[in-house]
Amino acid sequence: MSNAIDQTRRMLSLVTYLRERPGAEVAEVARAFGITERELIGDLNVLPMCGTSFRGGDLLDIDTDGERIWWHNVDDVAQPLRLAADEATALLVAARAVAGLPGLRERDRQALTRAVAKIEDAAGESAESAARIGVTFEAEGTVFADIDRALSEGRLIWLRYWSHGRGELTEREVDPIRLVTEGHTYLEGWCRTSEDRRTFRLDRIAEIKVLDEPANPPRLQPRDLSAGLVAPAADDPQVVVEVGPGGRWVAEYYTHDSAEELPDGGLRITLRSAEPSGLRTLALRLGRDGRITAPPQLAEQARTAALAALEHYRDGQVRTT
Amino acid sequence: MAIAKAERLMNLALCLMNTRRPLSKKELRESVEAYREAWQQGSEDAFNRMFERDKDDLRELGLVIDVDENALDGEVGYLARRDRNRLPEIALDAEEAAALTLAARVWQQAKMSGAASGALQKLRAAGVPFAEEREHGALEPRIPGREAAFEPLLTAARDRRPVTFEYRKAGAAGAEPRSVEPWALECWRGHWYLAGFDRDRGSARVFRLSRITGKVRSRAGAFTGDVPEHVDVRAVVARFAGEGATAVAMVRIRRGAAYPLRQRALDTRPVDADWDQLDIPYGNGLGADLAEYGPDVIVIGPEDLRADVIDRLRAVAGLAEVAQ
Repeated sequence: MSNAIDQTRRMLSLVTYLRERPGAEVAEVARAFGITERELIGDLNVLPMCGTSFRGGDLLDIDTDGERIWWHNVDDVAQPLRLAADEATALLVAARAVAGLPGLRERDRQALTRAVAKIEDAAGESAESAARIGVTFEAEGTVFADIDRALSEGRLIWLRYWSHGRGELTEREVDPIRLVTEGHTYLEGWCRTSEDRRTFRLDRIAEIKVLDEPANPPRLQPRDLSAGLVAPAADDPQVVVEVGPGGRWVAEYYTHDSAEELPDGGLRITLRSAEPSGLRTLALRLGRDGRITAPPQLAEQARTAALAALEHYRDGQVRTT
Repeated sequence: MAIAKAERLMNLALCLMNTRRPLSKKELRESVEAYREAWQQGSEDAFNRMFERDKDDLRELGLVIDVDENALDGEVGYLARRDRNRLPEIALDAEEAAALTLAARVWQQAKMSGAASGALQKLRAAGVPFAEEREHGALEPRIPGREAAFEPLLTAARDRRPVTFEYRKAGAAGAEPRSVEPWALECWRGHWYLAGFDRDRGSARVFRLSRITGKVRSRAGAFTGDVPEHVDVRAVVARFAGEGATAVAMVRIRRGAAYPLRQRALDTRPVDADWDQLDIPYGNGLGADLAEYGPDVIVIGPEDLRADVIDRLRAVAGLAEVAQ
């Protein structure tokens, strides 16, 4: 359900749109406006109550039989409206960010750059505040281009990939599904090696080959990414990390179930991970800013790894054996 | 039942756009049924508050509403002049339109996402040839906006209004109040940052939005300092993230291990069958990056980096007092 502001915004455009298209089809208009038919019918129920005078009966005479839409007293009030500052800003910031995406097809980049110039022109001073917001996407150019090609040609990919959880380079065959960029760029695909859906961060791909074999990903529901790209499963093992003030960043970088404030300004963070042993690296990274309190084996693994690392520095020597 | 807000806003917009002379509040109250109800069943005050809010909402939607003295009854009147509200001629071809459709989808933040689709709807209504079928592209750039501070800061930067908020600095035990003139927002590596003039410190500062606790409150009054033409938030943030390093660290890495570190190496040479020696740019945060790989990494130098990593390892090994 959209809010009153978005609905008003939409209805204002709707009257302009309908003015040019007598007998427009409900299904088509809903698609054009990116809303459900139900939402559109909702709008069409409101519009006949709108006009310049309720008591004078000066209202929009718009009606629908559920399939087509008719406007019987079209007037010239429905002119195309100028872009609001927020509308121009939202569109321009997004368009500039996408145009700066490394690996974007050159043709698309040029089309976007032309579109940006035209929107700036049409928006006039509404476009000014767009200069106050910048978005930079990180995408690794060559890998990106290879995956983009594999996606458009529908081909299987071979990867040598750094598994952060396992701390090693792994080889996989992946049916690519899509590229998602949020800060970093990720490939979402069906990993034939682990027979599961996986997300790969592009800057951790050490080597890539686009294979001749056609891709054949199983039909999957698109994942809901609203909670973040790396969402743990409900039955993944739980890990508890206690951090001091210097380790609060953990709560910003890791999707977690809870973060409880501690009296010293730190946090007790409960999170879940498919591969808890991968969090050994988190304990090592935190140093004196935090420690893993559960499960105890994980805390012990981190301690053992730290002791083994300290062996290298014993007596002020460097030992590589 | 009270008349829905969208219907009321739509009626006000139509009245203001349809008139050639300014309409007074009294006239609008006669025309818009929801105002009539509010006035009859509520009070003059209730109507006034409702009308002021609605006017602000329509302005947010882009409607230019002029205030004029020349209403018939001698009171202040309002109108939305056609020439000031018309979208200028805009000729976008199908390819440009398709590129914009992809761009409009990238916002994950509700208000910006609504504004971007609103922009497309206006363009579509004006005759821009957008494809009817939504093509599901295989490329999905996303601009996040989960931080509650995003929306109020965006508005404040746009309207040049000073703000106050509670801010917890990285590593600080608690939050403290900051008073800031917001200049610009920047999203880098999926996180939002604010650049602005910190009034108490008397100089420019960069804030990470996720570290703002509690509400962002806007303050009356104007900016006291000039807003710089160009604000490079990214350069400041990148420096904290360890980029733009001036020194070089020498480390040994076990063969096959720590790929992300190897990627950053300026030079890599084998030491023996199991180890490589690498030169890595030495900036802020490198100690934590190296400690993460435990026994797969050995720091040769510089000495302060080596001491930092040993110190971190001792803390994890339980050989040092952990400051908690």
